[in-house]
Amino acid sequence: MKPRIAFFDFACCEGCQLQVANLGEALLDVLKLVDVVEFREVMSEKWAGPLDIAVVEGSITTKEAVERIEKIRARSRILIAYGSCATIGGVNGMKNRSPLEEIRRTVYGEHAHTFPTIATRPVDQVVKVDYYVHGCPIWPPEFIEVLQAALQGVPCFPPDHAVCVECKLNENVCLYDKGVTCLGPVTRAGCNSWCTNNGNICYGCRGLVSNPNTKGAMDVLARYRIPLELVLNKMSMYNACREQGKTP
Amino acid sequence: MSKQKLPILESEYNIRPARILKVRQLTLTEKLYEIGFPNGESLNHDPGQFVEVSIFGVGEAPISLASSPTRRGSFDLCVRNVGKVTAALHQLKAGDSIGIRGPFGRGFPVQEFVGNDLLIVAGGIGLVPLRSLIHYVLDNRREFGKVTILLGCRTPQNILFSDEIETWSSRLDLSFSCTVDKADPEWKGNVGVIASLIPGITLSRHTYAVVVGPPVMYRYVIAELLLKKIPAHRIILSLERHMKCGLGKCGHCQINNLYCCQDGPVFRYEQLRDLEEAFPR
Amino acid sequence: MRYVTIPADKMADYITALARRQKVVAPVEKGKGQFAFEPISEGREATLTYIPTILPPKKFFMPQYETLLEYDLHEGQKMQAVVELEEMVLFGVHTCDLAGIACLNTVFSDRPKDLNYLIRKNKIVIIGLECVAYCDEYASCALMNNHLPNGGYDLFLTPLGDRYIGHVNTYIGDSLVEEGGFFRDATGADFAALEEVRRRKREVFHDEVPIDLDEIPRIFAHSLRTTIWKEIGDRCLSCGNCTNVCPTCYCFDIVDKPNLDLKSGRRIRVWDSCQNERFAKIAGGESFRKERSSRKRHRFFRKFRYPVDRFGKFFCTGCGRCSRTCMARINLKETLAQLAREYV
Repeated sequence: MKPRIAFFDFACCEGCQLQVANLGEALLDVLKLVDVVEFREVMSEKWAGPLDIAVVEGSITTKEAVERIEKIRARSRILIAYGSCATIGGVNGMKNRSPLEEIRRTVYGEHAHTFPTIATRPVDQVVKVDYYVHGCPIWPPEFIEVLQAALQGVPCFPPDHAVCVECKLNENVCLYDKGVTCLGPVTRAGCNSWCTNNGNICYGCRGLVSNPNTKGAMDVLARYRIPLELVLNKMSMYNACREQGKTP
Repeated sequence: MSKQKLPILESEYNIRPARILKVRQLTLTEKLYEIGFPNGESLNHDPGQFVEVSIFGVGEAPISLASSPTRRGSFDLCVRNVGKVTAALHQLKAGDSIGIRGPFGRGFPVQEFVGNDLLIVAGGIGLVPLRSLIHYVLDNRREFGKVTILLGCRTPQNILFSDEIETWSSRLDLSFSCTVDKADPEWKGNVGVIASLIPGITLSRHTYAVVVGPPVMYRYVIAELLLKKIPAHRIILSLERHMKCGLGKCGHCQINNLYCCQDGPVFRYEQLRDLEEAFPR
Repeated sequence: MRYVTIPADKMADYITALARRQKVVAPVEKGKGQFAFEPISEGREATLTYIPTILPPKKFFMPQYETLLEYDLHEGQKMQAVVELEEMVLFGVHTCDLAGIACLNTVFSDRPKDLNYLIRKNKIVIIGLECVAYCDEYASCALMNNHLPNGGYDLFLTPLGDRYIGHVNTYIGDSLVEEGGFFRDATGADFAALEEVRRRKREVFHDEVPIDLDEIPRIFAHSLRTTIWKEIGDRCLSCGNCTNVCPTCYCFDIVDKPNLDLKSGRRIRVWDSCQNERFAKIAGGESFRKERSSRKRHRFFRKFRYPVDRFGKFFCTGCGRCSRTCMARINLKETLAQLAREYV
């Protein structure tokens, strides 16, 4: 019997599901290896039974979400968190930068009391996560690599070096030389420097490397006359949940 | 002309197809594999050498040889489940296929040991490469003088090859002691770090010490050995590094100017004494 | 020994003619004063006045990603070791990069030989190009004795104002200058002009660091425990730029890339860096170069000390790329000067 796999989403834009749905021909080959029993974006069937692999997108932001992810975890042999929202909290983490009550009132106004909410958490701050596919959105080849490892029953470790490494292998002109701030030097690689290859900056969507040189990075910013405020802002766009717990 | 892909017959990256003959669970995390080549050929390694084990689709990992070349027709690998390739290996059963590159590196200088006494100091999984030496010595027992084996483990549950150890401790032609860092109620032996066993033993002037263990162990054990007046060139160590290519190229296993995969993994303490990167700081 | 000349205004046409017949790779402008070796089809795409490219030509000799082996597990363990290669003309290689290729040749010819590299390298034709002025303040090619040609090319061009003089070094070089009648044999006046260029060059190109090259291995022998490594380690972001752009860094990782069926795939090698967090980590989790200072020191020792012991040569070409690319402004010339000052 082929391994049963289901895709779930929590607080997110579902863009990572779209990346999977957009795998095209590769998706057909992936489907030969697994039996997809639930995937809201591409099919209407639901599955309440045991799972070999749960693929989870989105952050945990409500009490109901906590219960739901715990149930999914309980019936899944393997859990893959995919997309920044799930792996590091992602943009949802920005919520944690202000008091909860204030945020609720800003978003829901006078109906705030009907929308109970809790601080944003990446999935691994609630349940055990076996595999991570970082990124906003995920880099499809990495998703396939992680899925392959899960199917092979072997661990898969995302790289722990800077995006600069891949960017340099792609021989891009360094964005710092173009006078633009880029989070590449402190951000975990594994995306094949997708954004910088296309002229964009790195927003740090894959989270920080495990051992960033914070002091050194500040000195570099000062040298390039980049205001710290600007960088911290950029940094907290994806990485605001970081203080709460370690991400691998 | 556009991009081409040509076959190379003599590539150093070719693997030798091999088969798992037997699997034995040693502890919760370690399994012992007996490996053979299809035509029954021997690996012809030296005790202390290593091979690159290949599982296609997962990768390669350097693994110490755990058996003596005196045993023909097959060889042993003892594997702790810690990474990608070792996790895949742990799923395999007798009859499954793997690939082998090697043997690589310099093993223990067994010819130099001939006619001398041996003090073998094994810490934890360090017993694996030393088992290849111990088997070799036992198979050629008359070539060597007094043989002493000291074994240190974290807990009694971590002890590898417990059945063999029982035989070793009852043999009259070798002396064996064991200690654990943390005992359990059933444990009747020594408790304490392995270095603490060294002061109590008497060593002749023609002793070679052979030490293999976790990185943190070396400094303490070597300090005791030096106090016992064993000269640095007679202290033999095997170091663990992540040899990716085994060919002295990829750079991963480099210790200052030495390549663990080609210049080692077995070194004399004399070679390492002044190297900043040999032992943890 | 054959020397030829070609008018400067005919060079673009010559490159175009070459590119009509085979793949030609040449320095191309990438903006912000940076360059890269890229395939071209017209001579005008190439820039003959350029500072060292972002990546050195090592990317053609030892590609960033390279298949070593293909496997198929559908019936047993079928495998085939392969070499990926492509015939090409590498046009406009500076003397520093020729020195870098020579270093890689040394490493991969050392036993056990690396056939992937050695087979591929023989498919690449090299046309060198002399710098008559410094590229910028980062270069230390004169210190490393790489500012003048020391072989390693099929044809070597030196600009003489209105023309280039070419040194034909191999049979292949000989066939290169036969292309389309662009070249004629050099005369006495051409040689005099070449001599004049070299004389002026010797005046301009000086030891960029006040240090005696022969002293360097000894300086490094005394530099293991200096605080300089800590100082630059504190600044280093471990972005790996310095090693990736280095013409003589060749460390790599080997990984499997299974196809979607999980039954077939490739074993590849990919550039790796001693500056990366996990590079010196072992299975037990211990990293033997955990501190950035030790990684920085390792990089310098792999340029100025270890290869001297192992291969009898320095593995710094003086191209200046590591300093040019470093966001933290870790400067090789300054570090060398600092080490020399401490040694004295």
